[in-house]
Amino acid sequence: MSGLLGQINPGLLLVAVGFIGCLIPIQRVRQALMVATPVVAILMLALAERSTDLATASVLGIDLILYRVDSLSFIFGLAFLIASFLNAIYALHTDDRLQDGMALAYAGAAVSATFAGDLMTLFIFWEITAVSSVFLILRAGTKAAYQAAMRYLGVQIFSGVLLLNGLGYVYKSTGSLSLDAFTSFDQPGAKFIFIAFAIKAAFPFLHNWLQDAYPKATVVGAVVLSAFTTKLAVYAFARMFPGFEVLIWIGAVMTVFPVFFAVIENDLRKVLSYSLNNQLGFMICAIGIGTPLALNGAAAHAFAHIIYKGLLFMSMGAVLYRVGTAKASELGGLYKSMPWTTIFCIIGAVSISAFPLFSGFVAKAMTMGAVATEGYVIVWLMLLFASAGVLEHSGIKIPYFTFFGHDSGIRVKEAPFNMLLAMGMAAFICIAIGLPAIGGFGYGWLYDMLPCTVTAPADVCMISGDEIKTYKPYTVDHILTQMQLLMLAVLAFMLLKRFGLYPPERPGTILDTDWVLRKPGFGLFKWAGTVWGKAGPAMTGFAGRIGARTFEQIEATFSPRGALARGGLTNSMAMWSAVLLGVVMLIVLLAS
Amino acid sequence: MTLPPERDASGRFIKPEEEAPKPSDEHTHPMSKLFFGWVESPRTPFLLLLIVVLISVGLIVADVFIDRHEYKYTAFAESTGFYAFWGFAAFAIAVLSGWPLGKLLRRDEDYYGEADTKPQDVESDS
Repeated sequence: MSGLLGQINPGLLLVAVGFIGCLIPIQRVRQALMVATPVVAILMLALAERSTDLATASVLGIDLILYRVDSLSFIFGLAFLIASFLNAIYALHTDDRLQDGMALAYAGAAVSATFAGDLMTLFIFWEITAVSSVFLILRAGTKAAYQAAMRYLGVQIFSGVLLLNGLGYVYKSTGSLSLDAFTSFDQPGAKFIFIAFAIKAAFPFLHNWLQDAYPKATVVGAVVLSAFTTKLAVYAFARMFPGFEVLIWIGAVMTVFPVFFAVIENDLRKVLSYSLNNQLGFMICAIGIGTPLALNGAAAHAFAHIIYKGLLFMSMGAVLYRVGTAKASELGGLYKSMPWTTIFCIIGAVSISAFPLFSGFVAKAMTMGAVATEGYVIVWLMLLFASAGVLEHSGIKIPYFTFFGHDSGIRVKEAPFNMLLAMGMAAFICIAIGLPAIGGFGYGWLYDMLPCTVTAPADVCMISGDEIKTYKPYTVDHILTQMQLLMLAVLAFMLLKRFGLYPPERPGTILDTDWVLRKPGFGLFKWAGTVWGKAGPAMTGFAGRIGARTFEQIEATFSPRGALARGGLTNSMAMWSAVLLGVVMLIVLLAS
Repeated sequence: MTLPPERDASGRFIKPEEEAPKPSDEHTHPMSKLFFGWVESPRTPFLLLLIVVLISVGLIVADVFIDRHEYKYTAFAESTGFYAFWGFAAFAIAVLSGWPLGKLLRRDEDYYGEADTKPQDVESDS
């Protein structure tokens, strides 16, 4: 039995149960399935043998590897499954068949894609993540959500089309669909696949689908969305583009620019979306470095991030659920009515800010160390700037303006118990994997799962040729420097606030690059539509008249009632036939 | 700028706190006093600032005595208080840039015609 369970991609189970779940009307039965399935899936994953093709299929002469686990995919897959379990608990207070089912199917598609052993399987599940996740935005039921969902779907499907295009080139040139890492952009298909991944990883200028869609999703939907799509893209980059230098710079830019948007944004779920972008930057930068230490940094950061970002989205979701808004300008003083949510939010906030004893500290350190070791000084300074920026928007702004700050006078009930339970479990993980290693407890548990360990390194760890070393996050140097960075940043916040230099939270829409598409771009299409609407009938009328006249002329000449047919078969007809025949024969004679 | 009237129609003085009654604490969660009761004390902001200043000074002083070893390329970061300076400056720059950026990029809430983003799965009575 264990043999069979270890040979089925646990993601497929999630997808199947997710789709079935959409059809189960009894709330408690459905939700029990939603909570139990990820647990079963985690057990299945634990039984899976590493680095062998566990399930294969042959479709139209193409060999597909449906299930393959190595130490790189394992940590991402496990993080997805834990997130899916927490999300199911977080959603227990709702009775929404479509949302429950699609959330599980979406998680399942991400897990299946992670454990895919070839590009075609990756592509199939890449697209299922797009299609299943869009319902989490649509279920919000607003016009804004509907429009954002359509934009989101368009972008995600486009990413899939590029991936399909790229894999076509790969298949044509190599005859295989293997997920082996590219070595240069000159390889066929590499550029297409890079851009396909870049869209899902929300690279600068391709990032706006994220900040557009996530804050408009349902309370539960935003929590679910925050975990999967972008981290699947990070995994895909780690698998296929490790050590590509361009990623270092793209990642560094990604960490810095969202900081500025997050400062002025008022919708706190949107602030978290910008923060998500900033965190992805650290991971992308690490993948660009490509050494074992850096890849470990990216994977550890992704794992820790999925949990603490989920926790932060959960806490803002709880506030939105009770208060009806997540806008900083309307919130404040909520610690009085939601003390537990406040505590959990603070744990998420200190984790993402990378305070010692919390998960961000042990995860981000490896990326910083790898960047410094390889000598990218400017990138290192940018990441250090962004680390203070994370503290600003996720560490301080989110909890301070929601739960403390100016008392808005809002008094609501504490979040529903299931939400608190999910947040509590996420908070526990944030602390459990952040503590110093004492008696097998603490960060050692996370570090043992990293892709580049001495015992079972993934293939990608060998590319840079660097030796695999164990990393120790809890050194006096590291604690001191990190605390200096963070405490002085906190001091800066207090002083700026005290002297009235902190910009007040104000309602408004912040323009970002999507403005180009949504204002001039939309305007251009609208203008073209209007012009066509006006010019079209005139042009078709003109063309139609010419066509009709020509047809009439031809008909008047050649039809049975036409000029040439009049008078029956006459002498002139025979004559003309003879002349034409003669001309044709003459031409043939001359030409031969 | 107009000052608020100090007397009401019948000539009695209006106390400022009567104009804005404090929100009722009827729905305050019982645990909030235990966890965050200290937040309400008027001395808290000053005490917090004092604690943070003391920790910051302590960290920089400790830096003088602890011999840090940075990576080869980032040896400049070994100078005392480098991280403290960088953290303070980065935070201040990020926050202060909010003033001009807000002026430049902030538009009306209904700019894209989507001011209503309240999802349907929020509590119905809110």
